[in-house]
Amino acid sequence: MATPVIHVWCDEPADGPTNMAADEVLAGESLRRGALLVRLYGWETTTISLGAFQKHEDALAAVEIQGLPLVRRPSGGGAIVHGSDLTYAAAVPKTHPWGASPQALYDALHEALVRTLAGIGVDAALWRPSQPVSAHADDESFFCFDRRASGDVVFRPAASAEPDDSAGQAGRGHKIMGSAQRRLEGAVLQHGSLLLRQNTLVHGRAAHPGLADLVAAPADLPGNGQIVDRWLDLVAREARADVVRETGGFLAPRAEEVAGYAARFREPRWTARR
Amino acid sequence: MAADLKFAKTHEWVRQDAGGVGTVGISAYAVEALTDLVFMQLPPVGRRVKAGESIGEIESVKAVSDLYAPVSGEVVAVNTTLPGQLDTLGKDPYNAGWIVKIKPDDPAEMAGLLDRAAYEALVKSQSH
Repeated sequence: MATPVIHVWCDEPADGPTNMAADEVLAGESLRRGALLVRLYGWETTTISLGAFQKHEDALAAVEIQGLPLVRRPSGGGAIVHGSDLTYAAAVPKTHPWGASPQALYDALHEALVRTLAGIGVDAALWRPSQPVSAHADDESFFCFDRRASGDVVFRPAASAEPDDSAGQAGRGHKIMGSAQRRLEGAVLQHGSLLLRQNTLVHGRAAHPGLADLVAAPADLPGNGQIVDRWLDLVAREARADVVRETGGFLAPRAEEVAGYAARFREPRWTARR
Repeated sequence: MAADLKFAKTHEWVRQDAGGVGTVGISAYAVEALTDLVFMQLPPVGRRVKAGESIGEIESVKAVSDLYAPVSGEVVAVNTTLPGQLDTLGKDPYNAGWIVKIKPDDPAEMAGLLDRAAYEALVKSQSH
């Protein structure tokens, strides 16, 4: 039996609607290929992405992000300030072992990141709730990095215990990676964001410390490319798959198809649908 | 799980009453897989739907999923208490957790859905 393949593309920065559209195309491509696909990408400018169900009025009322472009994701979760993060989209058919339930893909990609960080001397862990998350008052925090869901990656300060909420706010650690999914008819699209450093274009509750702000020696951190390569290798090992790093980007050869999908994400009625 | 239910591959169930109207919900398997439901958006009464078309969305802590119409027809009732009591979906998915009622255009369309045994086989195949 042939070894499964994980196809990976790295795209140049694009605007919000283009990125969201490319990810929907990625989900369709995943279904056609029957494989896990990953797209890594940047943003032309600092952009706020809203979760599928977040209220537009909450975004408008958030003074910390006023003036920044907004795009609504098809996936769930809270708002993310993009621009100083490492953003990925992963798509997998529901027939894949990681596509059957939300937690499977979430944990697979996050556990690989925890091991990646451990390999460079950063102590992070998966956050686990001490009671069902829906019982928490902060489920509805506007920003993703203020929320906690089982499997989120949190930075663990030296000598701290396993990160959960049983020790109150102090025990929660700083969330540095979160993801959310859109479960389509045949495929799962997962968006995720690793916070590399605090974004200087926002302030107050929109400003969350990233990896470089939390480690003792940020100058010793490897480059983003090395972190990504190691992460993907560990994901592939867990999936017993090979990684194929595609050249030329995902967007460029599919520009026309992506532009068609992007039209929906540019519509004010999509952004303000809730 | 009652024997009078039919299932879509997308995990919606349908129970047809004597008048032909189908009560629709989502299976216990789907509810458990989604985990920690936080929000639900339902269609308006009167909306015409086609089989396989999205008729609503449900959000859990990690994922947004579409709810699909298992049959074509008209939405004739909506369980408006459900979005405020999402735990009902987990506690009683096949009765109090009903989502919408659809008057099918063609009652024979029900025959194309999965029976209980076929659905359980599908779930088993997706669990491995």
